[in-house]
Amino acid sequence: MATSGNKNINAKLVLLGDVGAGKSSLVLRFVKGQFVEFQESTIGAAFFSQTLAVNDATVKFEIWDTAGQERYHSLAPMYYRGAAAAIIVFDITNQTSFDRAKKWVQELQAQGNPNMVMALAGNKADLLDARKVTAEEAQAYAQENGLFFLETSAKTATNVNDIFYEIAKRLPRAQPVENPSGMVLMDRPAERAASASCCS
Amino acid sequence: MSSDSSSSTSGDDPTDQNPNPNDKSIDATEDRLQSIALTEPDVVEASSCQEPSNGHRKWITERVPWSRGNPRGDRVKLVRAGKHQVVFLVKGPIYLVCISCTEEPYESLLLFLIQLIMIWMQMLLILTKSVNRCFEKNPKFDMTPLLGGTDVVFSSLIHSFSWNPATFLHAYTCLPLAYATRQAAGAILQDVADSGVLFAILMCKHKVVSLVGAQKASLHPDDMLLLANFVMSSESFRQFSNLTCLLASCRTSESFSPICLPRYNPMAFLYAYVQYLDVDTYLMLLTTSSDAFYHLKDCRIRIETVLLKSNVLSEVQRSLLDGGMHVEDLPVDPAPRSGYLSPHLGQHRPVTDSPDRFGEVFSGIGGPAGLWHFIYRSIYLDQYVASEFPSPINSPRQQKRLYRAYQKLYASMHDRGTGPHKTQFRRDENYVLLCWVTQDFELYAAFDPLADKAVAIKTCNRVCQWVKDVENEIFLLGASPFSW
Repeated sequence: MATSGNKNINAKLVLLGDVGAGKSSLVLRFVKGQFVEFQESTIGAAFFSQTLAVNDATVKFEIWDTAGQERYHSLAPMYYRGAAAAIIVFDITNQTSFDRAKKWVQELQAQGNPNMVMALAGNKADLLDARKVTAEEAQAYAQENGLFFLETSAKTATNVNDIFYEIAKRLPRAQPVENPSGMVLMDRPAERAASASCCS
Repeated sequence: MSSDSSSSTSGDDPTDQNPNPNDKSIDATEDRLQSIALTEPDVVEASSCQEPSNGHRKWITERVPWSRGNPRGDRVKLVRAGKHQVVFLVKGPIYLVCISCTEEPYESLLLFLIQLIMIWMQMLLILTKSVNRCFEKNPKFDMTPLLGGTDVVFSSLIHSFSWNPATFLHAYTCLPLAYATRQAAGAILQDVADSGVLFAILMCKHKVVSLVGAQKASLHPDDMLLLANFVMSSESFRQFSNLTCLLASCRTSESFSPICLPRYNPMAFLYAYVQYLDVDTYLMLLTTSSDAFYHLKDCRIRIETVLLKSNVLSEVQRSLLDGGMHVEDLPVDPAPRSGYLSPHLGQHRPVTDSPDRFGEVFSGIGGPAGLWHFIYRSIYLDQYVASEFPSPINSPRQQKRLYRAYQKLYASMHDRGTGPHKTQFRRDENYVLLCWVTQDFELYAAFDPLADKAVAIKTCNRVCQWVKDVENEIFLLGASPFSW
């Protein structure tokens, strides 16, 4: 869940998608500015953190790069539970990976945090000749399901920072404002205030 | 699951796979072991090829027994096909097959079974034994997608059968370190184990720096071998770690993955936090809780801070460069020396001890009395120590041949039919091999083929004394979580 203190926001972000869609490559590009041609298959999930400055705040992403292998699917909730944002990645040259991405969107809509910011990344956008999923098709799907869509290339770095930046901008800024049920009065307000101010 | 590309026959009926005995899918020219695992519906029959006197090869088909109705689910079948031996091990719905063309004698069956069981347990480490339920529900269940991306794990394990003595000794080995250094590492690991971590293991390559288990939890050497193999063979655990940078801030990747320790509990997943602390050294924190990542991350930070402060990581790197016990250093005088430390172990290495001395002084000789190599296994510690390879056996091929000889020796000492022997002395054109088994230890030693028997025996006594003299540095002593 995104938590804010002053203008520092901590946000858990999870990447989901089929084997070989390029989740780890996107993270490697975003966190390290690097790309390797033959990225090894991820085991379980890898954890990273990266801080991004947007106009009004500093967002510290805690990134879970999950394994796309089938045997880890049942464990995905462990990683997306409480996530403030998700990037669902597919490979534009692989129709199956797009179908798999839709399944992840369905699962997140059913099981995930309802306020989650979801992005759909059509990765490997540099491989135009091998394209199997059109940008229009993916855009239409994203719109129907309340995601925002970008075509990315971890190899050329196209749109990689942009997708994380866009997520950072869309994260809810102040949790209490979003709470429509109003203020809940606490028994010991002074103590609560004290504990809230110490974790900056 | 296939061990390598040339044996990728998983899912094929072996009767169809190799109708022609000269088919290169079983490559008789290569001296190697091929192993594959098949699932029950895949294997119904196996074929053996016999060569009658008329020179025409004839295939004889034998039925491989199914495991149904066998509560333990283990069946073994040996099929000879010309020069090849095909060993089937049936573990419930899983068939494990190894094809050998090394013309090993019958005693090697035990070794093949050990290796097939290791492969099976490596699979359990990835999937747990509950994969059997998938076959109960659907006999045509295809396990291949579940093992996606793990080819390297199995090929690395199969490769280690020819270089890692832990695969047949069922013991682990430690990186040589000064007693105080290992104690410092153990103390901080114990600290985190008391805070709800089931096992905390610090390793450098396949050697243990220190390890600690929570109360009453014991870790089997086989599980350590399989876990280390899994972590080291998967590049994913190293990804993003900038290996030229030793600062913690340069590394951004931490892994959290479900794994199963088959000897600990084959039915359940544990969760492993894995991080490389430098190029070769990695920390594994195991827990039963899937929510423990942030706690384990905090533990790692605490551990790493202490390890850096107490110079453990730099000592580990130094030990890696120095190597372990060198047969050239075997003390000549067998009398016990109080406070004696091998020049290669611990911090007491004399400055005059230049690293290039082997090349000049000991070239082509090995140790005293023609001693080339030894493995000492402490039975009550579940640990072994193997000497470094001297120049007479410095090529990987020679080393592999020596390990194979040790394996045969081990098999003949542990074969239920004839053993256990107390001592064995063998001489062939390659070595003199000496094996000595007592209640406390097993010693395997290789000598120059011309070595004198009486002198070799005397030398083995000196090796045992030497190991005892330096046991503080080569073994992890005390506070061991192992059950013995």
